[in-house]
Amino acid sequence: MLLLATAAHAHIASNGFLVAHVNGRSVSGSYELAVRDVELAVGVDANRDGRVTWGELRAAEPQITHYLAQHLALAAQGKACDLAFQPMQINDRVDGNYAWLPFTARCPSAVDQLTINYSVMDGVDPSHRGLLTLIAGAAVQTAVLDGKTAQAAFAVFAPSKWRAFVEYLQAGIWHILSGIDHLLFLLSLLLPAVLFRRNGRWEPVAQARPALINILKVVTAFTLAHSITLTLAALDVVRLPSRLTESIIAASIIVAALNNIFPIVTDSRARIAFAFGLLHGFGFASVLSDMGLPHGARVVSLLAFNLGIETGQLAVVLTVMPIIYGIRAGAFYRRGVMPWGSAAIAVIATVWLVQRAIFPS
Amino acid sequence: MPLVLMRRAIQGRLRVNRSRLFCALSLAFTFNVSWAAPHIPGNNAEVVAELPAGARHNSAPSRALTATRLDIALPLAQFDISQARATGDLRFLGYAEAILQPWLNQPTVAPQVLVLNATILQSRHAFDASLTELDRAVQARPEDAQAWLTRATVLRVLGRYAEAMESCQHLAAAADAAITTLCEQSLRGLTGHLGDAYASISSLPQQDLPPEARAWRYSELGEMAERLGDDPAAEHWFREGLRIAPQDFYMRTACADLLLRQQRAAETLQLLSGYESMEPMLLRIAIAHEQLHDNGAAAADALLSSAFQVEEQRGDSVHRREQARYLLDVSHQPMAALAAAQQNWRVQREPDDILILLRAAHDAHQGQAAQPALQFLERQGLQDIRLDPYRKSI
Repeated sequence: MLLLATAAHAHIASNGFLVAHVNGRSVSGSYELAVRDVELAVGVDANRDGRVTWGELRAAEPQITHYLAQHLALAAQGKACDLAFQPMQINDRVDGNYAWLPFTARCPSAVDQLTINYSVMDGVDPSHRGLLTLIAGAAVQTAVLDGKTAQAAFAVFAPSKWRAFVEYLQAGIWHILSGIDHLLFLLSLLLPAVLFRRNGRWEPVAQARPALINILKVVTAFTLAHSITLTLAALDVVRLPSRLTESIIAASIIVAALNNIFPIVTDSRARIAFAFGLLHGFGFASVLSDMGLPHGARVVSLLAFNLGIETGQLAVVLTVMPIIYGIRAGAFYRRGVMPWGSAAIAVIATVWLVQRAIFPS
Repeated sequence: MPLVLMRRAIQGRLRVNRSRLFCALSLAFTFNVSWAAPHIPGNNAEVVAELPAGARHNSAPSRALTATRLDIALPLAQFDISQARATGDLRFLGYAEAILQPWLNQPTVAPQVLVLNATILQSRHAFDASLTELDRAVQARPEDAQAWLTRATVLRVLGRYAEAMESCQHLAAAADAAITTLCEQSLRGLTGHLGDAYASISSLPQQDLPPEARAWRYSELGEMAERLGDDPAAEHWFREGLRIAPQDFYMRTACADLLLRQQRAAETLQLLSGYESMEPMLLRIAIAHEQLHDNGAAAADALLSSAFQVEEQRGDSVHRREQARYLLDVSHQPMAALAAAQQNWRVQREPDDILILLRAAHDAHQGQAAQPALQFLERQGLQDIRLDPYRKSI
């Protein structure tokens, strides 16, 4: 009865809760410290009335994150990860309210062995413990961090090769299907594949064979090109600034689309596909570098990711081709879709180009 | 400085290896220890934490002072330890530890520092480490009454009554005669002379005792009366004791246990109202709700099990005795309760530790598991009417 009426909290010893999800080179999660512990470690009760308000706590947020940056450090294979906290929230636990801080850490390389330096509440409460939950894929480890063992190292369970393969294959498919810029580029090159140029006009191809050969050439060239650069970038052989690659990708779509309206290259669109495919490869690679390649499964994961992209690409081709082949002879396609569809694509890509080149995020 | 009378294991903890129980619990609850989802409070004026009284003494400026001044460090550590005892707030033990740490690292450690450190260790159920500190303290200062008394208490919790008695005798040279009598008679009450000891302590005039020993006398008398089977007298002693020492954590739980044993759940809730934040009290509240079959049971159970989960995750053996009782009387899992009671028995051997072991063994139909405790009872001649039904049935 009374228990329900009061905000019931049990006394337990001081704990900090650290949840870390390891995913390639990124570690994300949350750290929680009881507000009363924050008060002793940092001093947040500004008016010293024995009560900490949300306003007082929030005002001290820079000091709190500064304190945490000094007392909580993550490293991958001994090399420090760059830890950044996101805005604080409040979490109610069994012994009272906690300051809950989500974080992300970028490590120099994919995390194989995570080292945690933990000294929160050092000198204030030696019985304080950090309770770690470390999650990597389906594997969950828990551990207790204390001030006495200043640093603790955890082997992040390497995912099995098969798991890595499936995960990166899915990532590849997802990336191409959600990456509308790559799709529009491909589409711009595919639209004229069911036509051919005669006397300054688009004519429908008579048979499926030349259309299929066109498509095959374009898709093969694009695949070959982006596979080369994707591999080089993923293995850190070549690096290009993402602002540059993203801008050129947008430009490549404009070029391909305009070429459909004012044809300059009509016979060897495969060359355009190849040339710009090189740049698209760098774009794919930036996704991979966000994910990181898991240790022990680098090649497999890279291969799987690439295969995922090709699978997604093939799905698009197989969907689009029968449709445009079917309607290729009509005026709607030749005078409507070809010029106006291409124009629309060029406009969208121009907007992207401006965004990416001038206002990069 | 007044003597600190510790009495037996109060709140405490001890590190144990991860048991199977722990693995099961931690796996099941790793993601479930949080009370609610993180959120952003609605307005800046919302109070997110009430700071406990006295916590501020442990903020940075005070810490700088206690690191250089022993005359400030000692009373502050003492204050933190009493605060932990009075409120059950375990963080205060940590604060005391932090104050003592620089002084423990000195080439020669002051005996008072050793005794306070021993007190902290004892409160955490690190009994062996506590004894080591106390042995160092009495070597350095054989006339240190506090050290001998604490030593007697720790040995008594461990069931090493002969050695405890020896410590009490050393006390005679350094402390008040009445305190020595209390120390010795409480041990005789556990080793075959319960009636005598009870008479001796009850005839000890209250005014002869220093104020800090009066509550001890009441709780000793209350427990002896219970073991003799005189529950009304026991209740009288506990209530008298709580009248003069309402903050006495140990006496309050003992009184609650007496009421619960008599199925007086409503009175138990009344006795413990306002003490919900202390885990051992919360356990008694949960048992009372269980006896009443009312809707308070779920809330108490949830709070208690969350606290246990976090402690398990920490790798601490919570309050193992409390956990065994929780498993037996609240969640009705006699086998798990027996496992916890057995682990507890390996560490401490007070009548209550024996009681929970016998009850769990009985309910789990594992008479064999109670044999070590039964042999201990025989060997010591320990008399406790509460244990009798189980002696026969096991």
